[in-house]
Amino acid sequence: MPRDEFQQSLANLRAEVLSMGDLVGDRLDRALTALETIDEAAAQDVIEGDDAVDRRYLELEATCIQLFAQQQPVAGDLRFVTASFKILTDLERVADLAVNLAQYTLEADRKRFEQVDLSAIGDLACEMLDDAMTAYRTDDAALCRTVAARDDELDSLCQHASERVVRDLIEREVADGDGWAVEQLLDDVSRLLLIVRDLERVGDHAVNVAARTLYMIESDPELV
Amino acid sequence: MSDSPQTQPQSQTRTKTTGSDQPLETTSGETVEETRDEWTEYNFDGEAKMVAEDLDVYYGDDHALKSVSMEIPEQSVTALIGPSGCGKSTYLRCLNRMNDRINAANVDGSVQLDGNEIYQDGINLVELRKRVGMVFQSPNPFPKSIRDNIAYGPRKHGDINTGLLARLLGRDDSEAERELVERALKQAALWDEVHDRMDDNALGLSGGQQQRLCIARCLSVDPEVILMDEPASALDPIATAKIEDLIHDLAEEYTVVIVTHNMQQAARISDQTAVFLTGGKLVEYDDTDRIFENPQSQRVEDYISGKFG
Repeated sequence: MPRDEFQQSLANLRAEVLSMGDLVGDRLDRALTALETIDEAAAQDVIEGDDAVDRRYLELEATCIQLFAQQQPVAGDLRFVTASFKILTDLERVADLAVNLAQYTLEADRKRFEQVDLSAIGDLACEMLDDAMTAYRTDDAALCRTVAARDDELDSLCQHASERVVRDLIEREVADGDGWAVEQLLDDVSRLLLIVRDLERVGDHAVNVAARTLYMIESDPELV
Repeated sequence: MSDSPQTQPQSQTRTKTTGSDQPLETTSGETVEETRDEWTEYNFDGEAKMVAEDLDVYYGDDHALKSVSMEIPEQSVTALIGPSGCGKSTYLRCLNRMNDRINAANVDGSVQLDGNEIYQDGINLVELRKRVGMVFQSPNPFPKSIRDNIAYGPRKHGDINTGLLARLLGRDDSEAERELVERALKQAALWDEVHDRMDDNALGLSGGQQQRLCIARCLSVDPEVILMDEPASALDPIATAKIEDLIHDLAEEYTVVIVTHNMQQAARISDQTAVFLTGGKLVEYDDTDRIFENPQSQRVEDYISGKFG
């Protein structure tokens, strides 16, 4: 086939984006585990590892720009490079959210809301990201639509979690005059709401990855 | 995809060629199975300036163009692309009957200009080629002055009433001619570069200037359609950019049809693109952005992304 080198560049780009997906998925997973187990060392590791993710992102972005400039991809190749370019941005943002989760872990040395099942929300967000990257790897349009559909499930879990936290706040009795306890409670509430919000955003980025992948496969902007 | 040209309710169905029930043939006669939906028609808004229906061209035994039906929208740029020998230049030459000049060429089918058949007996070919002008791959100015190159056509067509005495004296400086020459050179974005040397030999101009001179020469007889056969392939990038800008501007007033081997050029300058593939078939014809982002035919995708062969 003519343009062998170009075709090899496209194959390499796909492998590199998938590798970045694995890297980001792993960091998200570790951030969630650290949050669950209040493992400060693991959280610190996630935070410090973000520079490596950023460098990787910039390298791959440069690869895409180089392909546009030098190879002028068209049709399916154009959609592939364009989709990859956008997906890389979403992956980088997910890595930033993993850093946020790690930072909340470092602050979480006080009371937690054990009745809120953060791990269920985190697992669903991770699964969605994983499925979106699988769709990208295997050109699976149906899986793209499945990822988008599961976002409603995630949003619903996040909404219930937030309501639960707020309800608990309303119902909780704080001893009069115990200013420190009030401050601590507000800290915990706002942190938990931020965790829920960030996990919901991970789901949004997974949907973005699925949307760009669907455009790549079928030139269908339905999910974009 | 409700805004796709195929489904626009306000558009009329104007063109039909190869359908999925008509397998493609290669030059060797083998049938090529399409691996996905085949393109069937191109709908566009606006009026068609030229219409080809079931056009076949034979060079002796060689069936160079096979049943091509295609409508060319007015005041726009239509690009014809495809590999060498695919029939795109043959098709272009059918639009002003340049194939008549090739003895072995046999044209069958219909081509209409503003609804009038150009392949009917008794048609005035000089008048046709005045209305449907042509610019070739290599600049081919006459070995005459810049002024004479531009004024040649109008003088021949009698559009300039140069006085008999002036002509006998070899002077062509009538006001009408001066205006016409200046207008054509300005339209071709060449006036600023040559206005102070109108009597110099045109062969002294650079390649890019010569090609713009040829475009000006084509414009001087006030055509309606301009056919261009790889007009920038012999030019450097700067001269190419000037020609491309010019083509873009010309489409505001004229109907431009351009054959190009440079796919990025087709993508840059055309409104719609027709892809001819080996065997003389029109395989896909659609808005240029659709051809280059999401072509319907796998073979077209393979061709434009360089995987053909």
